[in-house]
Amino acid sequence: MAGITVVFPGVKALDLAALTVRPGEVHGLVGENGAGKSTMIKVLAGVYAPDEGTVSLDGERQVTLLPNAIHAAGVRFIHQELHLVPHFTVAESVFMGQEISGRFGLDTNTMNERSEVFLRETLNAHISPRTLIRDLGTAERKLVQITRALIDGQAKLVVFDEPTAPLAIGEVDRLFAAIEGLKANGIAMIYVSHYLGEITHICDRVTVLRNGKTVKVFDEVSDQITDKIISAMVGREITELFPEKEKASNKKLFEVIELSGRGFSQVNFEVAAGEVLGIAGLVGSGREQLIDTIYGLLPKSSGAMILKEEAYNPTRPSKAVKAGVALVPRDRRNDGLVLDQPVVDNINLASLDEVSVALMEKRAVSKERAEVMVKQLDLRPRNVMTIPRLLSGGNQQKVVLGRWLAKGGDLFILDEPTVGVDVGAKVEIYNLIRELARGGSAVIVSSGDPLELLGLSDRIMVLRRGYLAASSDVKDLNVDSLVGLTTGGNEGLLE
Amino acid sequence: MNASPYFRKLVEWVPVAVFAGMFIFLGIEAPNLFTPFTIDLMLKQAVPTVVVSLGLAVVIMTGGDDVVSGGIDLSIPAAAIIAAAIIADQVTNHGTLLPIALVFALLAAIMVGVLNAFLVVVIRMTPLLATLATSVAVVGITKVITQSKRINVTDPFIVFLRDGTVIGLSAGVVAAGLLTLIYWFLMHRTRWGMQAQATGGGREAAEVSGISTKAYQTISFFLAACTGFLASMFVLARGSGSSPGTEDNLLLEMVLATFLGAAFSPRRKVTIWGAALGAVLVTMLSVGFKSIGVNVFWTGCIKGSLILIVVASAAATARGRY
Repeated sequence: MAGITVVFPGVKALDLAALTVRPGEVHGLVGENGAGKSTMIKVLAGVYAPDEGTVSLDGERQVTLLPNAIHAAGVRFIHQELHLVPHFTVAESVFMGQEISGRFGLDTNTMNERSEVFLRETLNAHISPRTLIRDLGTAERKLVQITRALIDGQAKLVVFDEPTAPLAIGEVDRLFAAIEGLKANGIAMIYVSHYLGEITHICDRVTVLRNGKTVKVFDEVSDQITDKIISAMVGREITELFPEKEKASNKKLFEVIELSGRGFSQVNFEVAAGEVLGIAGLVGSGREQLIDTIYGLLPKSSGAMILKEEAYNPTRPSKAVKAGVALVPRDRRNDGLVLDQPVVDNINLASLDEVSVALMEKRAVSKERAEVMVKQLDLRPRNVMTIPRLLSGGNQQKVVLGRWLAKGGDLFILDEPTVGVDVGAKVEIYNLIRELARGGSAVIVSSGDPLELLGLSDRIMVLRRGYLAASSDVKDLNVDSLVGLTTGGNEGLLE
Repeated sequence: MNASPYFRKLVEWVPVAVFAGMFIFLGIEAPNLFTPFTIDLMLKQAVPTVVVSLGLAVVIMTGGDDVVSGGIDLSIPAAAIIAAAIIADQVTNHGTLLPIALVFALLAAIMVGVLNAFLVVVIRMTPLLATLATSVAVVGITKVITQSKRINVTDPFIVFLRDGTVIGLSAGVVAAGLLTLIYWFLMHRTRWGMQAQATGGGREAAEVSGISTKAYQTISFFLAACTGFLASMFVLARGSGSSPGTEDNLLLEMVLATFLGAAFSPRRKVTIWGAALGAVLVTMLSVGFKSIGVNVFWTGCIKGSLILIVVASAAATARGRY
């Protein structure tokens, strides 16, 4: 791929980006969120047509970049999602959409045999072709997905998009064994991952994208170049986006002891009143599940939580709210707002008791409260009867924040508070978050943006594959070291 | 809720256990129920239910077994009784030749299928609601055709389906057995069937594999309606004509039989042979209760409860899996 430029309205997603992959090599493609990795892959898949640039396979320039032509040319994609049918057998899944028929209907024997042989000989995996998908572990399902993409024997280039995201630590090795098998068969691979530890472990060469440009190609890869890769990926400074931080009190407000649940294990941390604790972690790190468990959306399996020196054990969100915990969810449109109810109702949603007498809402009081909040939040337009569906992302988020500001609380949890929010609104939201801390609340901010966490938090804890990988004062971290910790790139450096 | 695997396994077996318990009870209360003669009689009774259950199995396998959002077609019995009414009306009241009457009936059934496919695939209505509405409308039209009266049919072919024998077995039972075999081959042994099942098992996964899921869902409703047409002949044979009100019992037994069949299948999924077996068992239960003098209304109540048990067990075991 050479000189690839893709322009979306108002933004250059790729700017003369280039990527060269040789037969039998695993080529890492890395970059921060928004660096252009996905766009690059989608150009190769024929989803986006490049405005400039060429794509060549085996030295032959591909004129028609359409999904069917790309498939015919031998390019295969292993998506993050497994796309398998739970009650199908391994062989049925492998041959889904490409079944083999004999004289008497489906040729089950051939399908079983070919699946088993491919899994064993190419991917180094011993899986019975008659096993049902739902009885397999995630790593084995991933291998079935790979087998399905490659069983026709036509693959020349395989693109892995975050292949280890759903896998547990021990399962990653099985995937790597499979990749080694493919390499031995001369198949070229592009490996897209946020986990730099994996990149340096499995890749032969690495291309780094930043702001849509190819900024660096590493021809030799080892653990020693992780720092160089991170610097090439980040390449920017923390700007003055963030508000001043006051010193937090020493009063421990919320404590989590050896907490385990779906997707995370034995997590320990504490937050003081007036403190902002950042939680960093990649997709699959257990960050989302940890937050959902603290808020009572998911059950814990073991461990304890203490809020204001009392045992806190929310079995459902209403109990969390009652205990003084508030959540600003990551999917604000679906989980945070009643999109077609006016702003006034959304703001008072969590504090209806305070604006009601018996079962009757005092409308005037509700409106008054909402108006004060709209002013404080600088919501545009300043009309409490506006329908949130019509608001921008930033203003929608302000409404959700406003609900909890109006209600008040001891522990605020903000999950990806600025996703889909423009820079101007981000600054306002950061100010609101710091204001919560200034008011004496403890605040937990979970975010995939290292810059945001560094600018906003007093302390940051890092989750990796469900375990607490590090916890550090923000003064001891920079973007490089934080990215390193979340990706496992500088494993061992700080531990 | 985090149910343990053992608890889930237990729940999976509840419908089978309940049915086994009922059969043991019937075996003790009515020992004559399981003689070869009564079994043959019960199989003959089961034929229409077997056939409509095949149709429902196709729709569920292609649309998914989530009772609300997956594939379901409650209008198959309605398609069967409108086809039966048309055949009876044409042959008995208008003297039309049976083959021509069959063509009219087939066209009517196809229209039901096309309507369902349009509502579900194009308009994107929930199959449960769409086919329920179609069913109510079609039953209404049937009553207009028959004036809510019984129409006797004495055509030799229909009589043969009722009384005839092939290699010592009832003709209707042989025909239903053959149909089960054909449907089983189509759904379990052909590429078409596997791709239809992939559509039902994971819509997105199927689409990623290049399968045209909309086409499969459309054809499943079309096939279900055609199955309704085939069932109409057996409905006529069993009742010696078209009778009002046949659809209610057929609908109840079809849903119960198809989901019960899933409880018997190793993968706990709706299958063709499971649906056929379920239909036979459900009919045996009805006949058994009748033979020991259980009030017909109580039988309805028991069947309704069984549907609840079977569907609730399926929903409970599906949750938390994968």
